[in-house]
Amino acid sequence: MAAVEALNITHRYGRVTALDDISFNVNEGELFGFIGPDGAGKTTLFRIAATLIIPAGGRMTLFGLNTVSRYRELRNHIGYMPGRFSLYQDLTVEENLNFYATIFGTTIKENYHLIEPIYKQIEPFRKRQAGRLSGGMKQKLALSCALIHKPRILILDEPTTGVDAVSRTEFWEMLANLKSEGITIIVSTPYMDEALRCDRIALIQNGRLLDIDTPGNIRLSCSNRIFAVRHHRKYELLLALKSLPGVLSREPFGDAMHVSLNPDTTPEQLVRELEAKGLAGVTVTEIVPGIEDIFLELMKREA
Amino acid sequence: MFLLRKEFRQIVRNPFMIRAIIAVPILQMLILVPAVTFEIKRIDLAVIDNDHSPSSRELLARLSGSSFFRITATPVNIDEAEALLFSGDADMALIIPGDFSEGLAGITRPRLQVLADAVNATSAQLSWSYLTSVVRDFNRDIVIGKGAATAGISAAGSHQASIPGIGVASRFWYNPTLNYKYYMLPGVLVILITAIGLMMTGLNLVREKEVGTIEQINVTPVRKWELIASKVVPFFIIGLLDLALGLSIGWLAFNIPFEGSLLLFFGCASIFLVAVLGLALFFSTMASTQQQFLFIAFFFVMIFILMSGIFTPTESMPVWAQQFNWVNPVAYLMRINRMVMLKGSGFADIARDMGMLSLLAIAFIIMAIRAYRKRA
Repeated sequence: MAAVEALNITHRYGRVTALDDISFNVNEGELFGFIGPDGAGKTTLFRIAATLIIPAGGRMTLFGLNTVSRYRELRNHIGYMPGRFSLYQDLTVEENLNFYATIFGTTIKENYHLIEPIYKQIEPFRKRQAGRLSGGMKQKLALSCALIHKPRILILDEPTTGVDAVSRTEFWEMLANLKSEGITIIVSTPYMDEALRCDRIALIQNGRLLDIDTPGNIRLSCSNRIFAVRHHRKYELLLALKSLPGVLSREPFGDAMHVSLNPDTTPEQLVRELEAKGLAGVTVTEIVPGIEDIFLELMKREA
Repeated sequence: MFLLRKEFRQIVRNPFMIRAIIAVPILQMLILVPAVTFEIKRIDLAVIDNDHSPSSRELLARLSGSSFFRITATPVNIDEAEALLFSGDADMALIIPGDFSEGLAGITRPRLQVLADAVNATSAQLSWSYLTSVVRDFNRDIVIGKGAATAGISAAGSHQASIPGIGVASRFWYNPTLNYKYYMLPGVLVILITAIGLMMTGLNLVREKEVGTIEQINVTPVRKWELIASKVVPFFIIGLLDLALGLSIGWLAFNIPFEGSLLLFFGCASIFLVAVLGLALFFSTMASTQQQFLFIAFFFVMIFILMSGIFTPTESMPVWAQQFNWVNPVAYLMRINRMVMLKGSGFADIARDMGMLSLLAIAFIIMAIRAYRKRA
């Protein structure tokens, strides 16, 4: 049985279509990522999965239970972590955890093994009010609270947004651990590097799914070769690339321009043409396309 | 139960809440009760005495001898008196005509002219009646002194002061000294529990929405009614505690009598609190921020309190206003409180009001639950 089955999910806010005919399946025990920019519809989709909103069209089931008609049973199996920190800031770490444990009719002790690796790190602060924790610690507490009832599925809406790089890495290691406990996880993120840690990812943009596959396959699906072009006069480089007909796309990435070329244009040709435009010493190297490159390409194709 | 424990823990932890719960009743009772009074003291009177006779001086002595009037100015003409009224330096102007003592002697009919600053209609009316009563006393003494019933002074614009053939002895029941504090105190108690019940509950609910904690609660198996109950019960208890606190202050500070049954008093207050808590819940579904809630609640509380009859008797309001009070919970409790506290009314006397209040409470709760049902 699939952990999540979504069929033709559609949702609107007034005239704005937030989700447009979205269908996907998530297998049990899978770590499934939704990658997309802000406003793509990730949060709406997750709120539907968390039984918080009723979709305007389509249906979604979690473990065979419909999110609309059987939400009450389902809520025992969901661990939801909204994008915004939403625990009680005026209760202490321990009180928050205790509160959520009692709500689900369990105790901290009963499922301590599940949260131990995460909770151990914030346990020294268990008498501190949640509002006075740092961002990374808040996030660990939120995850602990979402896990305390041993849910079958974790729904994490942008859990790493606004968290420092070290904490982010730690967080993904925790998710890998939880996955090995057999918990299904769906997670959304705007960070492309995090996508690589998922079993499968769905690229979402303007309420539509662009592609669903493993990160590896998605990379392979990229039809064009991608080159990194570097020159210290960036603006002139951009203008020059724009004027060349053999260049299909050019996107700035850090200190380089990522360029995809027409099949009949070779990189050597590109170097020559750029040097002819006065950009001496330009370098062109082929790279393995990243999720970003693919995302941008898919977005272009969609448009 | 754990939801309740959490609520109480949050209330206790919030220093503002604790202070509000204790300070609000104390301050309201000590400030509002003595401050809001309808008695008028020290009316500043400007007098133009055109007569300068023993009679006119006698009248003025009587006026300034009463505790209500202070002769603060003696302008020479009407224009000056008007200027004093306009600037607010005088509340009333009394003009004694030049033929005043001749009139009293029975030659002409003496007339006093009175100008009053009637910006505040109530106080102008009261001042007017104080003045006429002093004049009437004066009048009667003169007439009796002369042994003839032919002449009398009449104040211009008023009815002629006549000598009553039948003496009226009045006695005010339930509040024999006409002490306004006794009248106000039951009303202030109503304001107190309205403020606690409506504002605090509503703000608490909306805050969960504003901070986003409701999101996290909504994905748990906690049922709607459990959540609502956990919000309502603490403030119900706090409301009753504050009522008891306010009542004790009334006892200690103002020596207010309590004629009726305490049980009945708290019983009615409980019904009222349910109604108000229902309203708080209902309003909280309309607001997504505490600011919005405050605005809605302030608007309704203002109307409820001003129309409830705390200052002016509801019977003298226009018919539509009296009809509005059918759905005004504050008006019911205002009446019940006064009846129970001052008159010692029993259950039978207030059964109708209690019944209506209960109906309102049920209606508000149903409205609130309906509005909450929409799971979205």
